[in-house]
Amino acid sequence: MNEMSPTKSERAAALKGLGTSRKRVEDSRFTQGKGNYIDDIKMPGMLFGDFVRSPYAHARVKSINAERALEMPGVIAVLTAADLEPLSLHWMPTLAGDKQMVLADGKVLFQGQEVAFVVAEDRYIAADAIELVEVDYEELPVLIDPMKAEEDGAPILREDIADQKTGAHGARRHPNHIFTWEQGEKEATEAVLSGADVVAEETVYYHRTHPCPLETCGCVASMDKVNGKLTLYGTFQAPHVVRTVASLLSGIAEHNIRVISPDIGGGFGNKVGVYPGYVCSIVASIVTGVPVKWVEDRMDNLMATAFARDYWMTGKIAATKEGKITGLWCHTIADHGAFDACADPTKFPAGFMNICTGSYDIPTAYLAVDGIYTNKAPGGVAYRCSFRVTEAAYFIERMIEVLAIKLDMDAGELRKINFIKKDQFPYNSALGWEFDSGDYHTAWDKAMQAVDYDGLRKEQAERVEAFKTGETRKMMGIGLAHFTEIVGAGPMKNCDILGMGMFDSCEIRIHPTGSAIARLGTISQGQGHATTFAQILASEIGISADDITIEEGDTDTAPYGLGTYGSRSTPVAGAATAMAGRKIRAKAQMIAAYLLEVHDNDIEWDVDRFVVKGAEERFKTMKEVAYAAYNQEIPGVEPGLEAVSYYDPPNMTYPFGAYVCVMDIDVDTGEHEIRKFYALDDCGTRINPMIIEGQVHGGLTEALAIAMGQEIAYDDMGTHKTSTLMDFFIPTAWETPHYLTDFTETPSPHHPIGAKGVGESPNVGGVPAFSNAVNDAFRAFGVDHTHTNMPHDHWRIWKTAKDLGMHD
Amino acid sequence: MELKDEVRIAAPREQVYAALNDPEILKKCIPGCEELIKHSDTELEAKVTLKIGPVKARFSGNVVLDPTQAPDSFSLQGEGNGGVAGFAKGGADVGLAEDGDETVLTYQAKAAIGGKLAQLGSRLVTSTSRKLAAKFFASFAKELNADPVV
Repeated sequence: MNEMSPTKSERAAALKGLGTSRKRVEDSRFTQGKGNYIDDIKMPGMLFGDFVRSPYAHARVKSINAERALEMPGVIAVLTAADLEPLSLHWMPTLAGDKQMVLADGKVLFQGQEVAFVVAEDRYIAADAIELVEVDYEELPVLIDPMKAEEDGAPILREDIADQKTGAHGARRHPNHIFTWEQGEKEATEAVLSGADVVAEETVYYHRTHPCPLETCGCVASMDKVNGKLTLYGTFQAPHVVRTVASLLSGIAEHNIRVISPDIGGGFGNKVGVYPGYVCSIVASIVTGVPVKWVEDRMDNLMATAFARDYWMTGKIAATKEGKITGLWCHTIADHGAFDACADPTKFPAGFMNICTGSYDIPTAYLAVDGIYTNKAPGGVAYRCSFRVTEAAYFIERMIEVLAIKLDMDAGELRKINFIKKDQFPYNSALGWEFDSGDYHTAWDKAMQAVDYDGLRKEQAERVEAFKTGETRKMMGIGLAHFTEIVGAGPMKNCDILGMGMFDSCEIRIHPTGSAIARLGTISQGQGHATTFAQILASEIGISADDITIEEGDTDTAPYGLGTYGSRSTPVAGAATAMAGRKIRAKAQMIAAYLLEVHDNDIEWDVDRFVVKGAEERFKTMKEVAYAAYNQEIPGVEPGLEAVSYYDPPNMTYPFGAYVCVMDIDVDTGEHEIRKFYALDDCGTRINPMIIEGQVHGGLTEALAIAMGQEIAYDDMGTHKTSTLMDFFIPTAWETPHYLTDFTETPSPHHPIGAKGVGESPNVGGVPAFSNAVNDAFRAFGVDHTHTNMPHDHWRIWKTAKDLGMHD
Repeated sequence: MELKDEVRIAAPREQVYAALNDPEILKKCIPGCEELIKHSDTELEAKVTLKIGPVKARFSGNVVLDPTQAPDSFSLQGEGNGGVAGFAKGGADVGLAEDGDETVLTYQAKAAIGGKLAQLGSRLVTSTSRKLAAKFFASFAKELNADPVV
């Protein structure tokens, strides 16, 4: 062989495939301000819409007078429910089988609800004109506390369905009750609880918060009345689903609707749902015949588009004296707001909350979730987590800590005793999941060693003594968390949204000169798909990632897919990419065999080429094969080199991780300082370690926000108290600690490349780690004190210290 | 939100009480008051422009007085609507004590605000309200040709 020929490993490195920390190809445009976001889209004659929103959380709308607004120069139209009713668009279906008002139809059910849509020549005129729309409200009693929803005399919120005894998810026992969802074995679990050595009980509230993406939601609807085509640009995490829903709602044939998601500035679940702004913009464009843009401002976003969490989880966990868990019971009150608009697979009205047995081998368990209507904004999206998985992980990781207190046992040791063992996988959980793979003990031991866990506990004990003797006013908390995610929804046998199966897709075209384009049914919102999917493909087809364009988000060109949320892109579309790549390779092998004049079976794949077995100097590179595919007549083989794969995953994937947070707390000021944060993630095969690290940093910072201060709060009148960034906590570099990241690698046995997804793990694992650290800091100071609710802002931490007598 | 204060006014109690029931004087003294109509001895209707932080709104509202204990004390209840800016409702108990030729006015007010006003201005509501109250009593004392002694 020629000395200059690259070695096998050099050729592999040149592909920049799996395992390479390839720089993000998207960033050259993002860092130069050349991204193309929804508000960058400008079309000739484009109008702007803005909403008149309700100041009341619950009121009857007696009249709407738009006369003064319409007199204002530049105002084109004011739409109300009365205008939408003839089109049957004054209400719309939600993703959860409920329906939602597009514009207030007789009453409003949450503060900030859309009442009228003002269309004007520019955005400022629209914003001014909404103040001139006179709405006459009759205030009604407000229901804010979900625990009071079914009390005598509670106001009935949804008069439209008050008499319906059955909803989309079964029986409803009260007009303010949405569903009861039960999993596991109730009687068996109660029997275990009543006979147990030890039972720990706690009510854990995972407060309401909001994804608050940097870019708010928005769209531009453009109805071309000449050819009957509607083009809808929008911040959609699921563009294909939006097209199907828009077609079903509007009656416009699906081929006449083109949905385009341009660059998206963060989604985190907020951009999964269908919002009144989209419907009103489409209607306004149809009415006016020109494009109409609607973009939320920050208050609109925090007030009205989808919130996350708001789960009241009451748990009982049973164990032997030695600490072996024997049973888990959980009842959850799920506050869904005014309409049930949760974005969950249809059969899972509480998402995958039944992953709440966590990383532990719990033989018997029972879960019940009651969905409740309140006078709050609708939503319930998976904010950087798979469906309700962060709630589940927080619940079990708090219950483990509470049990450790009850048993007077080390919480790390308690976890080790109860982890599902490596040889138990695939593991069938008591609440119905088949965990595909895991090696929890290895990860845990690595984490404990990395942070010198025993040393930390020793230091903590010394600190408690120092506090008692008055030498310090700072307590030390060690927050442990071992989480198991369930991502990659999902298998069509049990996962669909509005009846649409949750497969995903990839379509590949190899160009004659040996470069390629791949289109997917997903859409990046900052995850770096253009970088990582090209790497998956590079390793499959032997073309450098630099020579592969990844395109997503245009329903006219991309294959149908269910979009990007719930860490599903890599598990589902990533699998489709690998499978489509393998189809390419199968055809390429036939072509290469012909070119090499040997039988198909006599050649084998070698990084970027097919070589004749036993004679590796005889080869054809993928690049050569691509050229031949288009330009050479090959008997029995069609010209061209393309493939498409629609991938229906056989199972979910189950990433996991071990996190440790070390925090100091000032008992007099309530301030905290995160001294150390160690995050070990196992997301199976690692596609791009640099992107994984970035995802972990971002997810941990969102977890920090949620655990330490971020919340959507309402006052007694239903006024939204945290609708600006003055009140809604977004961490800056100032609050964000240094993170130590680490990994183990347990590939998914059923995924074509063994990848599991990672974008959401740090949120799922981070929240309990931060919260456990705060709670752990107080462990030595109250026998009965086992839990304080998030968010652990300075005031709440100070209050806990005060209540425990630490200020005396 | 709760406000509580004591104001000493250099005028006899009858005069103070009469002024507090005089729509012309009230209109001049309430900051931002554009219109004040007295429908009866106990019912008032007002239009007031208020600015709290970044939110400016024109409120129309109704106030009902309970003068059964007058002039020792009286109470009032009211509510106002500022359109998209939000709404306010609340009440106050006012005491008038004679102290020689002067009057010591004490008040205890409770108010709740909702809508955008509450969302954007929550931090500013109490301080703005205090400022408005102080402004009211300064103007009020001036109308009575008496300096307020705070």
